[in-house]
Amino acid sequence: MTGPRTAIKPEGVGARLPRREDDRYMRGRGQYVGDVKMAGMRDVAFVRSPLAHARIRGIEIPDDIRSQVFIAADLDGVKPIRAVSGLPGFKVSEQQPLATEKVRQVGELVAMCVAPTRAEAEDVAARVVLDLEELPALHDMRQAREPGAALVHEHWGDNVFLETFVDIDIASAFDAPIKVSRTISTSRQCMSPLEGRGVVAHLDRRLDQLNLITACQMPHIVRSGLSECLGIEEGRIRIVSPDVGGGFGYKGILLAEEVCLGWLALSCGHPVRWIEDRREQLVANANCREHHYEITVYAERDGTIRGVDCEATVDSGAYSAYPFSACLEAAQVASILPGPYDFPGYRCRTWSVATNKAPILPYRGVARTGVCFALELALDAVAAEAGLPPETVRLKNLVRPEQMPFDNITKKHFDSGDYPEALTRALAAIDVEAVRARQKRGEPDGRRIGFGLSIYCEQAAHGTSVYSGWGIPMVPGHEQAGARLTPDGGLELRIGAHSHGQSLETTLAQVAHEILGVSVERVRLVHGDTAMTPYSTGAWGSRMMVMAGGAVATACKELGERVRLIGAHLLQAAPDDVRLEAGRVVGPAGDLSVAEVARVWYRRPQDLPPDVDPHGLEVTAGYKPVRDSGTFSYAAHAVVVAVDPEIGSVEILDYVIVEDGGVLVNPMVVDGQILGGLAQGIGTALYEEMPFDVAGQPLASTLADYLLPGAAEVPAPRIDHMETPSPYTQFGVKGIGEGGAIAPPAAVANAVNDALRPLGAELLVSPISPRRVVEAVLAARRGSKPNADDLQGRRDAA
Amino acid sequence: MKASRFALERPRDLEEAGALLAGAGGLAKVLAGGQSLGPMLNLRLVEPALVVDVSGVAELRRFDHEGGTLVIGACCTHADIEDGRVPDVGADMLARVASGIAYRAVRNRGTIGGSLSHADPAADWLSALSALGATVEIASRSGRHRLAIGDFVTGALETSLQADEVLAAVRIPMVPETARFGFVKHARKVGEFAHAIGAALIDPERGTGRCVIGAIDAPPLVFPDASVLFGGSIRPGFASEFDRSVADRALIDAGVTDPVARHVHIEILRRAVIQAEGEPLVETRAAA
Amino acid sequence: MNAHVRPPLKAPLSLTVNGRSVEAEVEPRTHLADFLREELDLTGTHLGCEHGVCGACTLLVDGEPARGCITFAATCGDAEIVTIEGLDDDELTAELRAAFNREHALQCGFCTPGMLIAARDLALRLPEPDERRIRIGLAGNLCRCTGYAGIVRAIRSVIAERRDRGIAATVSERPLGPVGAHRPGASPRSAPDRREAASASGIPASAATSVREFTPAETFEQRFSVAFPPERVFALFGHVKEVAVCLPGAFVEATPSPERVEGGIRVKVGPISAAFRGVANIERDEATRRGRILGAGADGRSAAQGEVRYEVRPGSEPETSDVVLTVGYTLKGPLAQFGRPGLVRDVAARLTAEFARNLETRLSGRAVEAEPSAPSGLNPFRLVAGLILGRLTGWLNRIRSR
Repeated sequence: MTGPRTAIKPEGVGARLPRREDDRYMRGRGQYVGDVKMAGMRDVAFVRSPLAHARIRGIEIPDDIRSQVFIAADLDGVKPIRAVSGLPGFKVSEQQPLATEKVRQVGELVAMCVAPTRAEAEDVAARVVLDLEELPALHDMRQAREPGAALVHEHWGDNVFLETFVDIDIASAFDAPIKVSRTISTSRQCMSPLEGRGVVAHLDRRLDQLNLITACQMPHIVRSGLSECLGIEEGRIRIVSPDVGGGFGYKGILLAEEVCLGWLALSCGHPVRWIEDRREQLVANANCREHHYEITVYAERDGTIRGVDCEATVDSGAYSAYPFSACLEAAQVASILPGPYDFPGYRCRTWSVATNKAPILPYRGVARTGVCFALELALDAVAAEAGLPPETVRLKNLVRPEQMPFDNITKKHFDSGDYPEALTRALAAIDVEAVRARQKRGEPDGRRIGFGLSIYCEQAAHGTSVYSGWGIPMVPGHEQAGARLTPDGGLELRIGAHSHGQSLETTLAQVAHEILGVSVERVRLVHGDTAMTPYSTGAWGSRMMVMAGGAVATACKELGERVRLIGAHLLQAAPDDVRLEAGRVVGPAGDLSVAEVARVWYRRPQDLPPDVDPHGLEVTAGYKPVRDSGTFSYAAHAVVVAVDPEIGSVEILDYVIVEDGGVLVNPMVVDGQILGGLAQGIGTALYEEMPFDVAGQPLASTLADYLLPGAAEVPAPRIDHMETPSPYTQFGVKGIGEGGAIAPPAAVANAVNDALRPLGAELLVSPISPRRVVEAVLAARRGSKPNADDLQGRRDAA
Repeated sequence: MKASRFALERPRDLEEAGALLAGAGGLAKVLAGGQSLGPMLNLRLVEPALVVDVSGVAELRRFDHEGGTLVIGACCTHADIEDGRVPDVGADMLARVASGIAYRAVRNRGTIGGSLSHADPAADWLSALSALGATVEIASRSGRHRLAIGDFVTGALETSLQADEVLAAVRIPMVPETARFGFVKHARKVGEFAHAIGAALIDPERGTGRCVIGAIDAPPLVFPDASVLFGGSIRPGFASEFDRSVADRALIDAGVTDPVARHVHIEILRRAVIQAEGEPLVETRAAA
Repeated sequence: MNAHVRPPLKAPLSLTVNGRSVEAEVEPRTHLADFLREELDLTGTHLGCEHGVCGACTLLVDGEPARGCITFAATCGDAEIVTIEGLDDDELTAELRAAFNREHALQCGFCTPGMLIAARDLALRLPEPDERRIRIGLAGNLCRCTGYAGIVRAIRSVIAERRDRGIAATVSERPLGPVGAHRPGASPRSAPDRREAASASGIPASAATSVREFTPAETFEQRFSVAFPPERVFALFGHVKEVAVCLPGAFVEATPSPERVEGGIRVKVGPISAAFRGVANIERDEATRRGRILGAGADGRSAAQGEVRYEVRPGSEPETSDVVLTVGYTLKGPLAQFGRPGLVRDVAARLTAEFARNLETRLSGRAVEAEPSAPSGLNPFRLVAGLILGRLTGWLNRIRSR
């Protein structure tokens, strides 16, 4: 397979450079929030609601612990978390950091307990008794939409955060000869980074500043949100996000716990700490992915799509999460459901529904994983109906390279790429014909072979023009980065976003090296601290390399120009005759290093040119791509599975990914992102599910119940890169952080359905658990073979 | 997620352990390797006043052969059995079961006696040892007695152990060379608790056999005379005689009302039977 | 602020950590990972789940990998502990670090210390660089970032390279039994906290005071026949105290009206104890000889709803009755969220069966004796003490009725 292009500079853009951040992690010297110690620090444990929906009648706190327990009434001046969207009709939820009148989800905070150790804080929490009057709980988003349903927020009158509707000539498709309808859904998940959330808060008396060390993806956004909730100016708050053990979207939210600990640190005079445990993470804090689709595809007999008609419901949970709000997910569904395809008719209605569950947050892939699952499964159904191979239907409808750049039916602007080529390469790599032949032969062990495809394009690093339309608390503008040469010739980069596994300490150094030629060894990245970095909306939306990379490049270019001009003076050459090359200023008659220029600026200013730029060797620059409507990376995934219809197990036999992330800064790191995304996608496809009972109780409170894929469950895929540069970004890079997690659920489901289609079974819900497979197979046997063996054909199958 | 407070005792021998337990008035829990009790303590699902850690008791950390019976001290670990420090009762029988339990780091501390005493229906030993016809030896201050596994485990997470009793050893008959053992578990992930377990110990030459369906949220369903599953007698080629309807009826009688679950349980038992017949149809997940 | 918090009971502990002798005082409930992190500042041992699944806390105990989170420090007297910080100069770990870096085997780094310790164990024990066995061997160490590809490649390369150098696979010699568990006696033991039991007073006062209609999440039906006419049998069901006697663990405190009863139920699922106190409504229909006892209770952290439905029909013989008994419940709180509802179901089914047996005995005019094997563990002292000691945080329920 073709690999990425070779880097021109050994440490620059395109180099497979090993990571610089690894060593501290491998020696156990990373510093995560749970590792932070402060003199006099005390631990916090929360009393959380055991019920999904209840009125609080009372909170009984024994006298001997009253001074250690804080309830809503104690939190003077603290305001609720409000994440408002500007979209018309959006209804606002108010989340009290500690619940006041009602609790609306299991795990909602009711009281905060403080003690010298976490164990003792839990002892205190265990003695606080809640008197709750239970209310009917909404555990099903479709029931929540029904008239007469219980109300999560009474004053709304219904449970819909937001309803949207778009119709682009769907009626033109109604006379299509093929019409396929399916009900498709993705189950609720927990993002489950290995490290949970955590907060250490204390008051810096000298600066009269609240220092909040928190495991988060967006420190500057947390500062803004905390400022609003605590009612203190942003300058009095410093947010530090230290080493963070994975984010994936889970840490892109202002937490009620952050507000509580912020208040406590301001009030109590000693540092406080709360470290989320796994049970809190699973049953109380944010979830993701729960989508439900009623989708109809209209097509010609040759597979040409005439139109897609969809009703999509997203279970947003009880509260609108700050800053992304409760509607981002469903609003995205409406705009990205058409995927990488070109067709003329489209209608989509969406509902963001409130239920008595944890708030939903955008998880890696955000709505794309759900829409890809819905559309790609529906397209396989179209292929089956038309009697066509699934690849034929895709190739018929994919946007063609000569159409690029292309504005699709929902006005998404696809920047570049060759989608059919990606699919064609994937088909060749997986050898579809050999797979079909094996499938025809049958397996000696009775398992069934299936082949599945899915293809998507991923809008990434989308900016102002997209987010301003949603009107949520956060709209990204220019991304800023600082670049500063130190007197000894080192380079410091400062970004307001955060790296928690994405390898920015390495890749941004590569970007700087590409521009300035400074050895990667001499580049340091400062991030995760509002006091030391320029503002940024943070790490989300596959935007880091496009935005922070672009900002670092911009800052380094300006810095390089200043270095070049000083260098020209020192080389006694005309500026036009001098260039910056490989970390040196090269003139017609000599050269000198960037470090030598730095030494002159700081230590021998008497040698500087009289007209030197007084801003010196420190630059903060802002960056936006030429168009901020986003880059569109894309990929085709092809998978071969073996399904055991009797016990429902699914084994992945082969997996191929052909992806185009534009120009790759570090192909090793890009592969790492794809592989990690794939593992999470396999989790969505086959393992991960947070079930709820009718009372709104989350039923997976441990990792023995919530199954994260392990090494034995994740395949080793073959990855092929195309590198079509984005015309709009620095270096032509595209965002790729989320893509790996988008396609796998659809590809795997299509493969399972391909395997089971001859049995008459079809699975339309993720994850495809053994239970769901066996149920579907038994139901199909029952339906298709009325005289089937009684054992396999019981009518009372659950 | 921190345990609530408890006191800890580390008795030197079973007599001391028995005295401590008797003196605790039912407020104590016995701790061996702690790989089942540990999570429950951390989750505060269990909050004993006293934990009696028997993991250091020498008598529990040895094995012996008594005639045709292998006697394994309760505190021998899964890893001890996996690695062969504790001998097997047949060719790769106990070792294979042990190597499939949870993860190596858990097997290095988790014990065979602790697993049985915890009596989780989804645990491997409960089903495997039921098929192998094991008994347990129980020690208390008033002496020792033995129980078949079926009498020892009275329900999900329930055993007949009284407050002052400790499971001291597991006694497993050596398996004759003519007998074959099949053990198949159905889990969604490697190391996960099983959703179905099939175990079969069958001696086609003698025409005898015992089969077990485990992980049914209740004590394992044992067919002490497995011939009922094969049309009334066990002969060479028995696997092809496997009668699903007998197993299905037994599962219904055992209260397994869900037909999908029954289908999977029966299928897993069928595969254990095929394995016992010697066909490596189902690759069990050999652990590293 | 903490004037009222009792000092934790600590006991002395001596062990070796990363080659150095450590003498410390430790609470029995403190797990090894917390001890290392909080007392010794060895924060390289991470906590990802604290229930033994994720593997982030994996460390070496007597040279073998073990879970730091479900090994209590106080049970590790005389043990040799090695954490990731103690492997800086370990030759094999250095090879693994180089391979992990080369193969991009880590991203956020949180799983990495435990992963390296598991990898080291595999590199020692696996005879060949077999990918399948490596993947299975890593099952106990979750990584959420890398998709394991680089980790597996790194371990394969280290094993292959070592076997090429003639270093064979080994399983180290060791005594039988849990690693880290040495003969007691070396570390002084703590005494049981008798104050806990002495301060016992009862079930918390807070409890549900209203009863709502509900659809039980689980129901169980039992049928039996008794040699008494239906009207007598139905009359006995009207005496709620008589019924309560038959339901293991149930108790009645007051019957403010014929339609209402106050009380509770104590139940036990294996090692887990729970208690719920609350109220129940009683409904009876003489015409159909059907009735229902519908209750709701709470223990401060969890809540339960339960119902007992009964129907008395004429039996096949004159002067006999057939009884249909249905018990249903719904649980809320930590126990409901403990993902093994099947285990609770098994206990509830047995409890229902026992309830039916006791009712049959009672209806036949005999006294109900608490069976020693009663699943609800009817030793009153044990139950009461269990409640107090449990302080009722995590809970299970089951049925309620009285």
